[in-house]
Amino acid sequence: MTTIPSEEVAVSRWQLTGWKRGLGLVLLLAFTIAFIIPILWMVTMSFQAGDKMFQLGTEWIPSVWHPENYPNALSRAAFAGYFLNSGVVSLVVMAGNLIFCTLAGYGLAKFRFPGDSIVLLLILSTLMLPLEVTLVPTFLIIYNFGWMNTYMGLAGPLLIDAFGVFLMRQSMLSIPNDYIEAARIDGAGEIRILLQIILPQCTPALAVLAIISFRDSWDQFLWPLTVVSSDAYRTFPLGLVQFGEDYGNPPSEQLAIAVLATIPVFLLFLVFQRSINRGFGLSGLK
Amino acid sequence: MTIQTLASPVRTEDGDAPAAVASRFNRRIRRWGLIFIAPTLLFLLIFKYGPMLWAIGLSFTSYDMVSQPQYIGLQNYRLLLENPVFLETLVNTLVYVGASTALMTVAGLGLALAINTRVPGARHCMTAIFLTNLMPIIAVCLVCRLLLHPYGLVNQMLAPLGIERIDWLTNEATAMPAIVFVTVWRFAPYFMVVFLAALLALPDDYFEAAELDGAGVFRRFWHITLPLLMPTVFFVVVVSALLSARIFLMPFIMTGGGPGNATRVLSMLIYETGFSYMKMGQAAAISVVLFAIMLVFTTFQMRLFMRREQVYS
Repeated sequence: MTTIPSEEVAVSRWQLTGWKRGLGLVLLLAFTIAFIIPILWMVTMSFQAGDKMFQLGTEWIPSVWHPENYPNALSRAAFAGYFLNSGVVSLVVMAGNLIFCTLAGYGLAKFRFPGDSIVLLLILSTLMLPLEVTLVPTFLIIYNFGWMNTYMGLAGPLLIDAFGVFLMRQSMLSIPNDYIEAARIDGAGEIRILLQIILPQCTPALAVLAIISFRDSWDQFLWPLTVVSSDAYRTFPLGLVQFGEDYGNPPSEQLAIAVLATIPVFLLFLVFQRSINRGFGLSGLK
Repeated sequence: MTIQTLASPVRTEDGDAPAAVASRFNRRIRRWGLIFIAPTLLFLLIFKYGPMLWAIGLSFTSYDMVSQPQYIGLQNYRLLLENPVFLETLVNTLVYVGASTALMTVAGLGLALAINTRVPGARHCMTAIFLTNLMPIIAVCLVCRLLLHPYGLVNQMLAPLGIERIDWLTNEATAMPAIVFVTVWRFAPYFMVVFLAALLALPDDYFEAAELDGAGVFRRFWHITLPLLMPTVFFVVVVSALLSARIFLMPFIMTGGGPGNATRVLSMLIYETGFSYMKMGQAAAISVVLFAIMLVFTTFQMRLFMRREQVYS
């Protein structure tokens, strides 16, 4: 009562008191539950007997668990291969974005050259050229390269995204130029400066870039649909749609695959969670 | 030798070193900047600008990948304007973009404000809500298709309230709203995080003054928080518009563009025209229309971005 720690003063502005606090808590919990119910439903239903899905009064928690849905679903189509394809492509896309967006972001944030602002605008303007817009010519390019039904064809057009360049540039702007100057005076090469001075200071942005580029590549559907015709290079979303169209595959087994597909992205998030919160600028939230 | 040249700019600032050495040094550093950017520019040339110009060129031709492209002038565009399916699809896309952009922005801001009240556990709520943004879209589509099935969970829960069974995804009136709703559910958590970061970065002094004046919660939000957040609101509006203009998977999986053409969007039409009917020229013309829509939003974004850069520099 007598002294208030300074940290609490800083957050008190937003804090609610009394009944408002109770109401806020209830509302926030309601929101949260509304958002995660479909995820929880997906998980419990993936263990449900196939024929129970649409019965009135469906049990939220299966009375009999059917873990065999998972091996059954996996054995009905080449899902192991589909997941492998998705994983390889997504990791390559993630690596490409981490490397090239960092380089370009550094070049734009810390170097001045004639026309640098035009280059920045040129890069940013490609945000309006997603694959959906350039689908036909990009397909023709990959076709002429002979990259149909290859990992190169799947990953190639996704290797660098302007969003990542922008993210890295913004996070590097705040690094003081003095550090770089000092390193140059000490005789460090430009690559060493980037690796040893710049990179350690933008790990939060790198974490955000890693998860977002992985997730976006993992989510790709239209592009694989366009460049892949052979079963050997199908990614899991294509396999999952095919699986759903084949008659007689119970929805609970589709959901089992959906659960498996969700796990890698959630794991990646958990690994990077602390950095991601800092990367988004959320460290002020206790 | 290297150490001497490298050290020269510092001496230049002191006025010691010859200007020629300094400029050679600066030029070398500048070259490094260009080397770092070069791979990205090359990539964008091959996979973004090149294809866009190619698409514009193709849109004046008739091309089926078997015979050579034939120049046909504006024929593709004329055909589009006469095609009721294209016009319906265009309207659908604009309605979808408008509705989901507005709702995503409002929902994102609402969620961010709710978490920013700092009630106990707010941080965990944020993490839980953000998980929807990480769920693969294909999983979201499958789950929501089952939830919205005529005998699915949503109808089961509405039944005790006396609401009759609604065929959410096969009814003209509800199919598009359902897809918009699912879109908001999947993407709003991302904008929640963006808004939350902006809220946390707001300067404190405005709020202190308002508190001293005795302004209530709503007046403080309306007159202080919202105006300060305006740049972020614009950013979110543009990003979510660009995001929803390219939507493909949700209508493709959940409704297949139906009932009729009620949920068909431009990206679906591009794919069908180009790869089901092999009318590459016609598909390119639709791409140009989609590009024009995105250009409008991006121009807004560039304007705002440049203005903000000027404020900072």
